[in-house]
Amino acid sequence: MTKSYYEFFCPVKIVAGSAALEHIPYELSNLSASRPLIITDKGVRGAGLLDHVLNAFAESDMEVVEIFDDVPPDSSTKIVSRIAELYRSNKCDSIIAVGGGSVIDTSKGVNILVSENGTDLAQFSGVGVLKKPLKPFFVIPTTAGTGSEVTQVAVVSDTDKQVKLPFTSYFLLPNAAILDPRMTLTLPPHITAMTAMDAMTHAIEAFTGMAKNPISDAYATLAIRKISENLIRVLDKPDDVDARLELAQASTMAGIAFSNSMVGLVHSLGHSLGALCHLPHGLCMNLFLPFVLEYNLDGRGDVIGELLLYLAGAEVYARTPTHQRGAKAIEVIRQMRDELNRRCKLPRTLSETGKVTQDQLSKLADMALDDGSIIFNPVDVEREDALAVLNNAW
Amino acid sequence: MNNNKVKVNPWKRRYVVLMMEVIGRSMEAASQVDRVIRGEVANLPDRLMFEMRVIPNGPALVMVKTDAGNLRYVGTSAPRKVDVAMKFKHLQHAFLVFSFQESTARSFANDRILLDGEIAYAMKIVRCLNRMESLILPKFIAQRALKRYPDLSLPEKLLGGGRIYSQVAKNLIWG
Repeated sequence: MTKSYYEFFCPVKIVAGSAALEHIPYELSNLSASRPLIITDKGVRGAGLLDHVLNAFAESDMEVVEIFDDVPPDSSTKIVSRIAELYRSNKCDSIIAVGGGSVIDTSKGVNILVSENGTDLAQFSGVGVLKKPLKPFFVIPTTAGTGSEVTQVAVVSDTDKQVKLPFTSYFLLPNAAILDPRMTLTLPPHITAMTAMDAMTHAIEAFTGMAKNPISDAYATLAIRKISENLIRVLDKPDDVDARLELAQASTMAGIAFSNSMVGLVHSLGHSLGALCHLPHGLCMNLFLPFVLEYNLDGRGDVIGELLLYLAGAEVYARTPTHQRGAKAIEVIRQMRDELNRRCKLPRTLSETGKVTQDQLSKLADMALDDGSIIFNPVDVEREDALAVLNNAW
Repeated sequence: MNNNKVKVNPWKRRYVVLMMEVIGRSMEAASQVDRVIRGEVANLPDRLMFEMRVIPNGPALVMVKTDAGNLRYVGTSAPRKVDVAMKFKHLQHAFLVFSFQESTARSFANDRILLDGEIAYAMKIVRCLNRMESLILPKFIAQRALKRYPDLSLPEKLLGGGRIYSQVAKNLIWG
């Protein structure tokens, strides 16, 4: 089906592969920057990942001016202000975020303050508030899942006012995303699995959602294929550099896909479950994915059927009659989840998490209806529908 | 004098202006008489003000939640910064929605609407709009405006729509 109208935007330079980190000094100099501030967390530093980044500056005529390594899992405006002050006092001219979602969002917040010469981050909250390019900003993801390195949004908590401040602007997109397999090589199996299923969900929801378009489809389908072919390979052999790089690329591709085509009901339910029961985002995605696809199957069976080619390969796709491909695609996802459960104990149902009670399902349905992603789900969702999916996922 | 400035078809603008007022007044009435919409509005913060606007120069509709727990149609301009804004990027995009050629969800999916403010509140407002449209519009039009036409019985539809229309009339007469 031809889409009557769509938009697609991704100006992020992707620097990917072997010795990708060593390209950073050159990329910084291209943007007339030479005094980067690194923002990361204790976990990244403790795992020794920062050493790879610092070593990449050897033999260059620049050095990392300052490192902030204390970003908490739930960052805040206070942390952002502290880091902005560090940036200013050290006369930095660029930012390198090394980490996952919280580090990247914090860094985006810091970039707003230092570029706009502001002190109150809340002043820049909202859509399209930023009107000019920010300071040079690179992202080095240390998980293969969030896709935050290619998204134009950030969320930072204002702990005093107890609100989450959303920021949306093209100017929040980094200048470059550096995908180096060394940065995900030591990721434990269960986190590898969860984050990969997060990326898988980004790609599948982008491909099946209301805002799908031909360009994001291309990114989404390749991401699905790469994850299907490489996730188990990485779990079998965690130090497989090629397979790790494939997952990192898939995550970024899925990020590009969903930031242009949005996500749907899996995310609406997953955001709610994560907020209410404090479960990791990737786990929530893995949990709800097949149940939501089953819900969408009647209205979107043809598109879900196309997924089979990328999930299971050409032979299975050709062998499966057209009208059965949607159900078969869901079956393949279920098999993948069974395998991840066997290897990493990744829960497949709400009851398997051990952290959700049945009396919370009603509240979860209410919360899901208020999540912005629900509007992009290809099939309309009312409260009873959300509750039915939750009961199926129990 | 610059002769390159082209004006939008004035009838199109007038139609969108009219539809915004119809929607504003119908939402006000629906929040007074429809149980489902009342339930949604009850979960919005008191005095929440929201607008639907075509950028950069309107048309617009502004509504506020009153102390009585209903929605009130404020008019075409907001007396203060609104809490939630749904902004059409162009008059043509608003026309597509208000002439039922494109559903609200499709308009969001086509990147024609910018959403500013708390998303959870915006979702409640969108559900109110959808519910109202399902009640007051003939089914064949509502089917074009909504992602899925709800399972409404004929008496429910006629009674619900009738209540909203008569409440709009009451509000216009008695204020």
